[in-house]
Amino acid sequence: MGRSASTEECRRRSRGLEGSFFRTSHSCLRVEYLSSLFDRFHSKVLFACCGLLMVMSSSCKRSEAPIPVNRPYETGNASFTGATLNSAPNDPPGEWRSQAHDYANTRYSTLDQINTGNVGKLRIAWTFSNGTLGGQEAAPLVVDNTMYVVTPFPDELYALDLTLPGEPIKWVFKPNPSPIAKGKACCGPVTRGVAYANGKLIYNLLDDHTVAVDAKTGKEVWRIKMGNVETGETMTMAPFVVGNKVLVGDSGGEMGVWGWIAALDVDSGKELWRAYSTGSDSQVRIGNDFKPFYDHMKGKDLGIGSWPAGAWKHGAGSVWGWISYDPQLNLIYYGTSNPSPRVPDQRPGDNLWTSTIFARNPDTGMARWAYQTTPHDRWDYDAVNEDILMDLRVDGQLRKVMVHFDRNAYGYTIDRATGEVLKAAPFTYQNWSSGFDMKTGIPTVNPDKEPHPNVKLVNVCPPDIGGKDWQPSAASPRTGLVYAAVFNMCMDVTDNDVSYIPSSPFDGMDMKRYPAPGGNLGEFIAWNPVTGKKVWGVKEVYLTMSGVLATAGDVVFYGTTDGWFRGVDARSGRVLWSQKLGSGIIGQPITYLGPDHRQYIAIYAGVGGAATVHVDKEAVKGFDFPAGGNSLYVFSIDGDSMSNGQSQLGGMDSISKKSPQSGTSEKQ
Amino acid sequence: MDHCAARAGMGMLAFALLTPLSGCRAAQGGSSMTAQSTMNLPAESAAGAVPLGQLAGAPAETATSLSIANPYEHNPQAIQAGRQLYLQMNCAGCHAYNGKGNMGPDLTDTYWRYGGLPVQIYNTIHDGRPQGMPAWKRALPPDEIWKLVAYIQSLGGTVSVSNYEHARQGDRPGDLIAPEAQAEAQP
Repeated sequence: MGRSASTEECRRRSRGLEGSFFRTSHSCLRVEYLSSLFDRFHSKVLFACCGLLMVMSSSCKRSEAPIPVNRPYETGNASFTGATLNSAPNDPPGEWRSQAHDYANTRYSTLDQINTGNVGKLRIAWTFSNGTLGGQEAAPLVVDNTMYVVTPFPDELYALDLTLPGEPIKWVFKPNPSPIAKGKACCGPVTRGVAYANGKLIYNLLDDHTVAVDAKTGKEVWRIKMGNVETGETMTMAPFVVGNKVLVGDSGGEMGVWGWIAALDVDSGKELWRAYSTGSDSQVRIGNDFKPFYDHMKGKDLGIGSWPAGAWKHGAGSVWGWISYDPQLNLIYYGTSNPSPRVPDQRPGDNLWTSTIFARNPDTGMARWAYQTTPHDRWDYDAVNEDILMDLRVDGQLRKVMVHFDRNAYGYTIDRATGEVLKAAPFTYQNWSSGFDMKTGIPTVNPDKEPHPNVKLVNVCPPDIGGKDWQPSAASPRTGLVYAAVFNMCMDVTDNDVSYIPSSPFDGMDMKRYPAPGGNLGEFIAWNPVTGKKVWGVKEVYLTMSGVLATAGDVVFYGTTDGWFRGVDARSGRVLWSQKLGSGIIGQPITYLGPDHRQYIAIYAGVGGAATVHVDKEAVKGFDFPAGGNSLYVFSIDGDSMSNGQSQLGGMDSISKKSPQSGTSEKQ
Repeated sequence: MDHCAARAGMGMLAFALLTPLSGCRAAQGGSSMTAQSTMNLPAESAAGAVPLGQLAGAPAETATSLSIANPYEHNPQAIQAGRQLYLQMNCAGCHAYNGKGNMGPDLTDTYWRYGGLPVQIYNTIHDGRPQGMPAWKRALPPDEIWKLVAYIQSLGGTVSVSNYEHARQGDRPGDLIAPEAQAEAQP
């Protein structure tokens, strides 16, 4: 039996739904991991579909009639750039096991049932409300036909059973974090999601605890205290797993924390190493292997010496964004936050290692290289945004790179082995910098845009939230492009001297933000990482602050803070499909294959976080920010799922079988 | 002057320790900072006796401690000093430089989770609140907390002390009241 042939058959059936799942051969390799479930469903669905209920005949017919598939993307599918993704090892293609879907942070899925030809038929298949208010920033995970969704504070974790109609709750885990945390998070009591490893779901509670939960039972496996929430330190980032280590970091760039990243043992929770973002070389875990590319980052104990005496202790450099990993180089990549306080005149110097991208050995935590994107940051330009790992040719030479859209509005292509900047070009409107010095790797600062205490400075672009904030971009190996939801904003800013008072902010920036030239607050762009140029952009009146999903169907997905969820042609930038949701979108779209082999797209709607903190209502005419929300929306072609329409009667059957004591339909 | 007289009356009625005369003088901007700091302040024990929630089974008069007035209300120098404290103590970091809220709640409106009367705001600053608001009782003397309250009152939100009896039930002066609800309000 040809393994490839049966795989291809499976793929074809799966793509076009040419065979319903109960008619698909058990031998389909593509869906091997679903097989046990398939067995459970086989009899049930046959029973429901073709058995006693006559209304099921239409359902049977639908299964047999293939959905017309038009795949214009299959012609003219050349890459724009030749860039490839260094994503291995991926999650299984039908699952979504980590926030970024892979080590390379591509947020790219090989699923292509939903494509440019049929995305216009996407409809809501099912929804789920988690009952909290607060920015819904995390991507759901899908593992073994279970969906896991985490809420903003109080950081509750739900497991939804995708094998049962109605996707019922399997279990909910309530960690009961300290309420103090809620008032210490600068940008809403958010979480950016959960990681899955070794049968455990691992995530950070806002009150500085990391917790691991058994994925099957919902029971806590371990919990470790990582910091003291009363100092203003919180944790909002999504952990990132490399082997048997889970990497976590802190938040609090506006609270004068001492920023760090740490590795914990996946099975025990024990801390294995911690690297601070300021302080001595040993505290920063800088040793003999440390080889920064640029001179101004070479020297001893720069994490102390690039600050006024003692200021590094409350200098922040928190680690609240994304981490990526290159298994060949055995390096992790992440960025540090802005320095504290946000008043630069109070901390003369480069303020290393804030606003810096680090490469570290995950086994030891030792730094390999660092690159400070914004030395002596004056505008709150953190370097925490995602680093997408790609391989591409620059000047004819194949380079292993990372693509990084910084808060400072520069889009970087950086050699990820050495930290050398290969390309740096603004991806959105900015005026703080008059150019980029490729020799030093430092943007040239426009002196007119340097804030000083008690002086009102107008029209500084981008504002504190940057040209792009934490919302992660995505990349496609089919187009070789990177896709990002970016800002088009400026600010008026007045600095105010501040003192460090534990428990309170260490901030000092008084701002008003408004649209940059063009009048639009947001834009969704495609970016060429080889040339450092924008390929196309979709302008949005309101802020675009959602994650991006790229798919093999050549459709890329994003949302807006006024609640539009869109599917866009990855090549032309044409908007092919839009759906207005119940609240603004700052979540991260994902895609997965259900137990029925259908491709689904999922996104949370629930605006909050920095999106609400940072937009002045007066900034846009007629601006009226949507209320918060907490609904997960799951889409499929025509809204079909095994739990909608007539087949929900099968659901009663399933549930009564699951818990006979509660069902009223024991006998059919 | 009308306003000052009304406040003086309220002060005498509600709180013997507050000297109405000095309150009025302060409100007219006639006293020095030194004089202000020696101004008769509400006793700490009185503010401390104000319950956070409603009193179970208690008669209405026990709520009169809510009517404790801020001796610095409308005092321009105290308001200016309060603004300075608002910046120096990093209040602006949470509640924003314009007081309209950010990490912390909006201070310029009439929605107050823990009460918007002057003594309730005093207690919130003094004792802190569970969702991140620190307690300033060790860091700031009562005199400075009352000046902060005066600054917050000057932002246009809060609840007037003249409405102390009804503020907790969401009543505003001048609202319509159904006869049945009026009857229920009678002792």
